[in-house]
Amino acid sequence: MNTLYSEPIGKRGNHTTMTKWLVFLEQREGIVKQSSIDAWNRVQELAALLPGTVVYGLLPGPASIGQLEGRLAGKGVIYQAGEERLRLYNPQHYMRLVADTLTKEDASTLFFADTALSRDLAPRLSVRLQASLLSGCPTLDDTWPDDGGCRRPVYSGSVIASFLPLRPLRIYTTSSRPTHSAAPFDASSGAHIAFVALEPYAITGEALFPLVRQLAMHKGTTDVAEAGIVIAGGRGMGGQEGFALLEELARTLGGAVGASRPVVDEGWRPHAEQIGQTGKTVAPLLYIACAISGSPQHLAGMGSAGTVVAINRDPHAPIFDVADYGIVGDVHIVLPKLLEALQEFLQKK
Amino acid sequence: MHIAVCLCQVPDTASVIGFVEDTIDLSRVNEVMNPFDEYALEEAVRLKERFEGSVVTMFSVSSSSAKEMLRKGLALGGDRAVLVSARELPDPFQTAMLLSRAITGFYEGALPDLVFCGKHSTDFQSAQVPMMLAELLGISSVSAVIKLHASAEGIEVEREIEGGIEYISVHYPVLFSVEKGLNVPRKTTIKAVMEARKKPIDVLPVTISESPFVTITGMKPLVRKKTCRFVTDPSELVRLLSHEHALF
Repeated sequence: MNTLYSEPIGKRGNHTTMTKWLVFLEQREGIVKQSSIDAWNRVQELAALLPGTVVYGLLPGPASIGQLEGRLAGKGVIYQAGEERLRLYNPQHYMRLVADTLTKEDASTLFFADTALSRDLAPRLSVRLQASLLSGCPTLDDTWPDDGGCRRPVYSGSVIASFLPLRPLRIYTTSSRPTHSAAPFDASSGAHIAFVALEPYAITGEALFPLVRQLAMHKGTTDVAEAGIVIAGGRGMGGQEGFALLEELARTLGGAVGASRPVVDEGWRPHAEQIGQTGKTVAPLLYIACAISGSPQHLAGMGSAGTVVAINRDPHAPIFDVADYGIVGDVHIVLPKLLEALQEFLQKK
Repeated sequence: MHIAVCLCQVPDTASVIGFVEDTIDLSRVNEVMNPFDEYALEEAVRLKERFEGSVVTMFSVSSSSAKEMLRKGLALGGDRAVLVSARELPDPFQTAMLLSRAITGFYEGALPDLVFCGKHSTDFQSAQVPMMLAELLGISSVSAVIKLHASAEGIEVEREIEGGIEYISVHYPVLFSVEKGLNVPRKTTIKAVMEARKKPIDVLPVTISESPFVTITGMKPLVRKKTCRFVTDPSELVRLLSHEHALF
């Protein structure tokens, strides 16, 4: 490796040396994921605090540049490999693209949004590039670049651990919801981003890697891991039918329905909606827990949510200990009233 | 078919993680098989039952004793067990290195047809070891598999991504990390537990020669307690969420 890495990034006195960061932008069916845009904007915010830092982007697959207009902050160059064969995720092609771009730009840090794709790709890249990988980092603090460390909850959210990278090259998978940023970065002002199309190149050894034949997206629904508002139900919803109310609430608020583990184990809801230790980890702006008692396993999956509302019959349910607002009562009575109040409020608005 | 399964131990979710002064105290923790590894083992055993002559070998890297867990694995249908006993706690890269060496050593330089791992361990949830191991073994891999159909020629799998499903075809040899929902693991029976006692567990003491990629510099208890404001009227709640938090 070169001398760029001889000192911690933040301690470098003279800024004549350039620090280069690369942000991976993920598209699905030609749509760049909001989580990738959030990651780019957060990285830009951090780069602005460190003179001499240049940010690059890499967008594999065909995606229109127009959709990004006014949504990306800061300045930099985004490389797009717009080939049709990169539309579906292909670990072999994607890995080579990332590795080549990192090498070409001599970048020292690679950022991914924390998604199913980055959890698949980043560990292989870490080994191939001999890079430290820090997975699932919440929004990076403003003090982050000092040592490149990240703090995140472990052991079902009962412990917070500080992870420190030991290799000069670093990879982060991070959730950079703008919710965590006190002053959101104004994406439209002063952004100066150049898009550069990458030349297609020949790839050999095709058969060695898995082939994604098809991607089927669930239409018209937001994934619970990506929703800004989550309405989650527990066993106390009483059955599959009980969730109709939660779906109605989710539609009204533009959110997604989530479920606790017993609900999924009963087969009332699909596993894709499960929140908790053996399900998804979510960090929405608003989390409404309906008839969820709040086991440690469940709290592990929603501990980073912004505002938490709990509705439960039992005033001593542990969920109230992590809630901002609580209503003690039967969900079957409270929820219709809440829905009505919401609809009325939104109509007046 | 040669099938390898990687298993690890995690604290039982009911366990209390304590702190003595500023140091984490895991002495009161009850260690169990990582829940996601149960799905991995179950899938391996189901394939063994379908493809005659298959052997399921379990591998575990542990700094403490994982023998009890491996015994359980044997009772659940595993045929052989290899305990890679490391003196210090390895990071994910070192763990993957140790597993890779144990696997290539066990199969004498050849590769198993299939390697199964859990999607992640529930304690640290890094989800790094499985895909790192695939890279080190030089085989293809698919993470977070929720459906799997194997034939003699290849395997069709499904992976859940945010808001959708990927349909994937892959050839042997391949490593899968598995997601909850792939199967419903069987329970042990008394007879199986008795028989498992007779099966061998190979212990492979190792020293870690590679440097770690990542280190943990500190752990602190995380208290998330909030002060809950109780309301009785749902309209009041709507007003508060809108006015105080600008949520809608």
